[in-house]
Amino acid sequence: MSDNKDERLEQMLRARRLEAASPDLAARIILQAKNLPQLQSVSLWQALRQAFAEFHLPKPAYVLASALVVGMVMGFTLTPDSFPTNDEILTTTQNYIDADEGLL
Amino acid sequence: MALAWPEKDDHELLALVQGGSHPAFSELVQRHNARFYRLAFRYLQSKEAAEDVVQEAFLKLWENPALWQADKNAKFTTWFYRVVVNLCLDWQKRKRPVELTDSMAIIDQRENADQALQRHQEQQALEREIAALPERQRTALNLCFDEGLSNQDAADVMGVNLKALQSLIMRAKTTLKERMKNYF
Repeated sequence: MSDNKDERLEQMLRARRLEAASPDLAARIILQAKNLPQLQSVSLWQALRQAFAEFHLPKPAYVLASALVVGMVMGFTLTPDSFPTNDEILTTTQNYIDADEGLL
Repeated sequence: MALAWPEKDDHELLALVQGGSHPAFSELVQRHNARFYRLAFRYLQSKEAAEDVVQEAFLKLWENPALWQADKNAKFTTWFYRVVVNLCLDWQKRKRPVELTDSMAIIDQRENADQALQRHQEQQALEREIAALPERQRTALNLCFDEGLSNQDAADVMGVNLKALQSLIMRAKTTLKERMKNYF
């Protein structure tokens, strides 16, 4: 009984009504597309290249700019504690001299 | 209209469309418009609405061909079925579903009046019940029965695994059998 119902349902599903499309559907779509401009997608790389294309700087300028950037980054990265103070330098030098005198 | 590039596959045509080739786009439309129309018609039950949806889908592709990304999608048709299904669902949300009318019945001349009436009523009831199914069950049914896609292809279109698709079809059929029991 259940099999009969299954078969009957599948039969009905396969016999569903379908109204044919207009024969000129494809032609209409193609014609409409002719009047529509395409959006040009620009990748990030292309966008960057276009931006930089506006500035025609000589290569040494880029090298100098890069060196400045690296220098600034390093300067901001190192904290004042990274460098010895004047007192520390003086003490280290005095210790060195004292060590030498001891040997003599 | 004769096909311009029958030897080119869909992916080659899409690459050309992305380069702005209108003949390649024409080839794609002629190759696939009928199948996408059938699917849209199943959802919308209206020739005009289904044609509008198919036209909108193809024009979206033409306007912004970068929507199609070959590396992300296995098959153009799988991806485009999804586009059409989404547009149909949007269309249904925006507009009231089309009411089935008497003029929509296809009556076979060889049938007698009683048989024709019965068939007509069956068709109407079936469409009504299918339209009342949850969206995913309806999509599974439309893809597998009307488009003749394999279960795996239909699962790919819906972005589910094979078991989930089979379960959706099973539930849809169970519901339909229950609701259509008067016609069996």
